[in-house]
Amino acid sequence: MPKKILGLLLFSLLFLATFLSFSDEPFCKQVANYTMNVVLDTERKTITGEEFLTWTNETEHPTDELWFHLYWNAFKNNMSTFFSEQRQRGRGLTGFRLEDWGYCRVDSIRMIDKENFAEIDLSPTMAFQQPDNDNPHDQTVFFVKLPQPVEPGQTIELRIEFLSKVPRPISRTGVYKDNYFIAQWFPKIGVFENGEWNCHQYHSPGEFYADYGTYDVKITLPAAMIVGATGEHREKTDNGDGTTTHHFFQRSVHDFAWTASPHLLEFTEDFEFAPGKTTEITLLLQPYHKNLKDRYMNAVKNAIKYCSLFYGDYPYTTATCVDPAYNSRSGGMEYPTFFTGGAYFITRKGISSPERVTIHEFGHGYFFGLVGSNEFENAWMDEGFTSFLDTEVYYTAYGAPVYSKTYFGIPFTFRDVNIPIESDGISRHRQTSDRDDMQRFAWQFMEGSYGANSYAKGELMLRTLKRYLGENLFGNMIKSYSQRWWFKHPKPQDFYDIVSEFAAQDMSWFLDQFVYGSGKLDYAIGSISSIRPRQQTGWFNGEYRESRSNKENAKTYESDVLVRRLGEVKTPVEIMVVFEDGSEIREKWDGDYRWKKFRYSGPSRIVKAVVDPEFKLVIDVNRSNNSMVREPNKIAPYKWASQWLIWLQHAMEFFTLFGG
Amino acid sequence: MKVFINFFKGFQNTGRLMRMIILLLVVNLAFSLILAIPMYHSLKDSFGNSLVGERMAEGFDYLWWEEYRDDAQGLERTFTPSIIGKGAILNNLEGLIQLRVFDLPPIILIYGFLYIILHTFFAGGILSLFKKREAKFSLGSFFRGAGSYFFRFFLLMLISWVIFLMIDQVVKGSLDSILSGMRETAISEVTPFYWGLVFNAVVFFLFLFIQMVFDYGRIKIVEEDSPNVLTSAAGAFGFVGRHLGSTLGLFYLLFLVQVVFTLIYVLIQGLISQSSFLGIALAFLFQQIFIFGLIWIRCWLYSSQMELYRYLK
Repeated sequence: MPKKILGLLLFSLLFLATFLSFSDEPFCKQVANYTMNVVLDTERKTITGEEFLTWTNETEHPTDELWFHLYWNAFKNNMSTFFSEQRQRGRGLTGFRLEDWGYCRVDSIRMIDKENFAEIDLSPTMAFQQPDNDNPHDQTVFFVKLPQPVEPGQTIELRIEFLSKVPRPISRTGVYKDNYFIAQWFPKIGVFENGEWNCHQYHSPGEFYADYGTYDVKITLPAAMIVGATGEHREKTDNGDGTTTHHFFQRSVHDFAWTASPHLLEFTEDFEFAPGKTTEITLLLQPYHKNLKDRYMNAVKNAIKYCSLFYGDYPYTTATCVDPAYNSRSGGMEYPTFFTGGAYFITRKGISSPERVTIHEFGHGYFFGLVGSNEFENAWMDEGFTSFLDTEVYYTAYGAPVYSKTYFGIPFTFRDVNIPIESDGISRHRQTSDRDDMQRFAWQFMEGSYGANSYAKGELMLRTLKRYLGENLFGNMIKSYSQRWWFKHPKPQDFYDIVSEFAAQDMSWFLDQFVYGSGKLDYAIGSISSIRPRQQTGWFNGEYRESRSNKENAKTYESDVLVRRLGEVKTPVEIMVVFEDGSEIREKWDGDYRWKKFRYSGPSRIVKAVVDPEFKLVIDVNRSNNSMVREPNKIAPYKWASQWLIWLQHAMEFFTLFGG
Repeated sequence: MKVFINFFKGFQNTGRLMRMIILLLVVNLAFSLILAIPMYHSLKDSFGNSLVGERMAEGFDYLWWEEYRDDAQGLERTFTPSIIGKGAILNNLEGLIQLRVFDLPPIILIYGFLYIILHTFFAGGILSLFKKREAKFSLGSFFRGAGSYFFRFFLLMLISWVIFLMIDQVVKGSLDSILSGMRETAISEVTPFYWGLVFNAVVFFLFLFIQMVFDYGRIKIVEEDSPNVLTSAAGAFGFVGRHLGSTLGLFYLLFLVQVVFTLIYVLIQGLISQSSFLGIALAFLFQQIFIFGLIWIRCWLYSSQMELYRYLK
């Protein structure tokens, strides 16, 4: 009897543990669900598979078409939209051999008619589409016609047979030697919203967009391969023929990527990032980066901990970080619960590698992963937010990094030169972001402007907003925005709404200038002066007055501060004026007109004036002109000219090698 | 043993010509100041009347530097945080070995070129004084020596440039291409890194070797008053070839002295605070001592090599 009770208890515990660890409860509606069985052929470098897709029409509109992405067809020929755009960006295609091209071929697509136990072949209706341009060579999007429309709320099931040829490493996917990084690799349904399909072609600048669902994927490949993928690694089955099948499962995600290599070192740790909240971290490390294990692992832990604090508790049970193989071109990329870092085998204390990229790519798990913005159309809503996130998390966890430079492949740090948080993105913004508005479709930016707008300007706008609203208000706002839009697809207006809600005022005046504008923000102190007041000389109301020394006047100064708006962006600013006697005046200016002059009369001269003294306007492109002092510092130019002089003297002496 | 004997003899000879080294330092400083003055004004204008000046007096204002860099033209492009301390030396070392000198602004290249020519001129003066083992330096004898050997030294320099160019194009070019191929097919960055170090060392060794051979070429011209530059160059190769151990031993002994001296400078210079004029003056003085030391070591090398040449002849 006691044995039976014990057995029952053990069984119950096991059941409970299984239930808890494999909690299958989805966090949201599972719109697009994929069950895939795929085989990696390492000889032919192909993935063959079968995909069962169930898709639910969650809109109020019926549709008689289904649109799909075939992203890997971007690597099918040199005339694809992807490669055409690469050429325009000066990144030509070189040395592609027959075996280097990649593609995704749909061999059949059938609709499962459960009622009649039949399958309807949709393949004859398949047609490639180019919704973004008329490029007939681009086959990254196709659609099929349905025999009857899918009504709102209705779910259909499809069986798709496909073959994907793995390309050589390109755009964060492909194979290098025996290192596979497999992303955007299967026929993937577009997003049906507002009565139409949002299914863009694969572009060189820009990323992805998809609906949430469940991915239940079985991958069969050589037994020697170490495998990592999106979601929980539920099972590993030895097939007895030199292959192993790995089973991965994840609900409430919108993509599935995986990696396989016989060289990877696998480290796993359970991490309690908040009381009672744990996730399993898997680190797949290249053997030659073994020395970076702790730095990588701590970066993932810090990312999970601080992202949970700032943007809501990480909801998934796994987080897999992949240290990309050398030459695999898969570094610095994000997929749900699965992301790549990037590292060099030598690093130093104070250098932000590999931490920064690791935090950034994990952070995308929030902004694009959980908050499912459209990366094709609103790139700043994922890249800008994530750039902001990675900087905030990095500086909170590690403090300011130091300046470093690599000589002969060895990084050296300059510990006297810290890189403040306000530097992040400002140089790129200053140089190229005015070529476009921040809100553009990713592939429609002028060359050099996609990154400046999507990453740098987005980040700087958020940091400026944070300092404008105040840390607490902004913190609450951004966390609410994050959590309110988890597993949904927010548009720019949704962000506007939540900012205005927390600011208790319509904030479109602020956001519009950055999101839909290309102007720059630059406030400056134009001049400061303190002079003795002029004594009255001449005729005044019939009385003649002569200039003469006046003791009262001698004690007084008339001081001016001229503040200027040099950029197009207008925002209220504060001005701090400091006088010789230590007194300080704070002014507020609406920043609307081109300039404003502040006048003072008092016993002291102005020592300095600073516009935006709290450095709230992080997006200000010229911070040096924000202040003016009466007496410039004389030491600094001598100090630094002297430093430069020794460099030059040494260079001159050094190069006598080539002479006498 | 002969290496050490001549090493110490060279030291003694150089010590007797302190005024010559001071002259060479003054020339180096004057040459550099011609460019440092516009740099001073550029920095002064950029700091302007802003608070940047105060921040740069205390430390390094990275935000200001990013603005400065984004607008930088000409000389200004060379002002980076990596000119601080060890960075100044590493920048130049890497610039030399990887021939990144050509990335420098044209104005610095022109000045560098003129400085090399001037030094080729001075080399005659230096060697002629060492030849006579004169105890006292006089401007007259220095410039007479400089003038009498300049044309031959200039031709010798042109020949050395052809060899330097060949090392760059043939040896370095081939090594770069091997490294690039290695990088394309490597399984990690580790192997190309170490090969990169080896290749850099090979190029550096060859550059130094050619410099050393042509030092003996100049010594040969001075010692034998040889009118034929080509014969002297060929003779120098022959001499070094016959006495490879001694010539290389002496050269690397002095190279080691230079490395140690540079390391000492790098370690100490960071300790001098430059947030006051006194600090700047002290740092400047220390910097000049460093350059003085480098010139001293170069002259010491010449003198030791000349002694070794005589010894082995």
